Amino acid sequence: MRRFASFHIDMSRFASLHIDMGLIRKYLRAILNARRLLITTFLLCFALMIYLPFTMIALRSIGRGWFGRLWLPPELTLDWYKWAVEVTNIVDISKNTLVIAVLAVTMSTLIGIPTGWAFGRRRIPGKEVLMSMILLPRMIPPIAYALGVAQIFYRLHLVDTHFGVALAHVAICAPYAILVLSATFEGLDERILEAGSVCGASPVRNFFHVVLPLILPGILSSMIFTFTTSYNEFTLTLMTYGKDTVTLPVRTYLAIGEGYWEVTSAMSIILVVPSILVLFMIQRQVAPEKLVGGFKGV
Amino acid sequence: MKRGSKARTTLVTLIMMLPGLAAFFGLFFYPMLVTVVRSLRPEGEQAGWTLEHYAHFLAEPRARGVILLTFALSISATLCSIVFSLVLCLVLRRKPRGHRFFRLTMLIPRVVPGLIGALGLLLLFGSRGWVNLLLLQVLRFVDEPVAINYTIPGLILFYTWLYFPFTAVTTLSTLEGLDPAIEEAADVSGANRWQVLRHVVIPLITPGILAGSVLTFMAAFGAFSIPLIAGGNYRPLSVEIYRQINFTPARWSAASARAMIMAALQVVFLTIYMRILRRPSV
Repeated sequence: MRRFASFHIDMSRFASLHIDMGLIRKYLRAILNARRLLITTFLLCFALMIYLPFTMIALRSIGRGWFGRLWLPPELTLDWYKWAVEVTNIVDISKNTLVIAVLAVTMSTLIGIPTGWAFGRRRIPGKEVLMSMILLPRMIPPIAYALGVAQIFYRLHLVDTHFGVALAHVAICAPYAILVLSATFEGLDERILEAGSVCGASPVRNFFHVVLPLILPGILSSMIFTFTTSYNEFTLTLMTYGKDTVTLPVRTYLAIGEGYWEVTSAMSIILVVPSILVLFMIQRQVAPEKLVGGFKGV
Repeated sequence: MKRGSKARTTLVTLIMMLPGLAAFFGLFFYPMLVTVVRSLRPEGEQAGWTLEHYAHFLAEPRARGVILLTFALSISATLCSIVFSLVLCLVLRRKPRGHRFFRLTMLIPRVVPGLIGALGLLLLFGSRGWVNLLLLQVLRFVDEPVAINYTIPGLILFYTWLYFPFTAVTTLSTLEGLDPAIEEAADVSGANRWQVLRHVVIPLITPGILAGSVLTFMAAFGAFSIPLIAGGNYRPLSVEIYRQINFTPARWSAASARAMIMAALQVVFLTIYMRILRRPSV
């Protein structure tokens, strides 16, 4: 505590001597000399800034009677998790979320493979324009076309079906799959394919034994990314869900509206832990940076 | 024969493109069309044309505030992201200890749902959160909890937290693609560290930063989940749209008109941004 007090006095002295350039220069030099320390502090603050919100959620989800100016909850409990499972029916909701995500991933991959192949390996007039057109759904705010999707799906009775919600997710997931897979196909070396056919492989054999192993990492990363997108998707789900297709993000939103912060926190932890685990697991196999970038040329 | 095989190739290409085009037209283009038509129909009717929803919204004195708020939030979040990402990437580029960990940390806001991020930030910056406890009990800068949640600076902070990875990732990859020889040349020519940074490194990576910041800007402009739960009385366009369909009966036409205004603004801002981006002198 004393250290912080003296820091305070220093600050005020610094403010009162604002014309003294020499002192300022001295301070600046001191800061420069302490660059290592500064960098460490900066990185530490950065990590804290990213992880503390989750720490707060985790603490909130296991604490009881945490009121007033207390740093930690006075009592620990697992009741909120029990509540989350019993009251909000989180088992069914997780099942919905997973079923929808798997459906969305399957559809996006099935769309992405042929279209990505065409984009990657064939000469298409106006390819750039076509590609940016396909990427449009990721640039226009989802809420703008979510309105249209909802109205169409109401008419087709697709609202509140797993297939319908997954199909809505495909609107966002498919462009991504196409983008990742077209880059994969583009990277295929023509000579390897020729070598396959020169050695007498039929086109089918060539595909299964030469092409597929080469593009498998691309397909895998596209699947992981579309899965994450669908798992976290909120806007489009909110417009197309019904009482049988509540997903984890939507349920969390509803719980926030109901005002039970402790139960909401417990649910958030259940929702978030898999995402973060997956991120740390896949980091060696695929470059997770692609998760946010990938808009080459934009 | 030659012509026949060429036609076949074109046909195969077309067939292969079909799923992607079908997804685009069915799940994006057609819904957008439905939204446009809906916004031009009288509320709740299937026939007739009207512009009243646009006129109604734009005539509202609040409308200008809503649009201004959306724009101000996204542009300030973008600027904050650029500054923060630049510092972060310059530090990470030197590969300090544990840089792999920090590179993954950078991605966390993008792999968790925005909703959860917003919830955690609300808890962290709330009047009983750790930030306020730190200010109150350790640093003793203030006597009363500082209101951060549900204020404009708080929202900018939340937006930045959620959307800076777009900028940071592109900036980092541009920085790492930079040829070290260029900096060495500047160094040898007698430029000090600051001059190298100011006159060599930053101009070279500006295109990368801008390309990343476009993504941050677009995401922030369309942000929905954060302002929905953390916005309080501040409602940007996306929340305004959602509010319209939450009325009973739902005002689909009014919502659609607002959505079209939002999409149009997005395209306009994007075009301006791209103009700036393409300008060679930047």
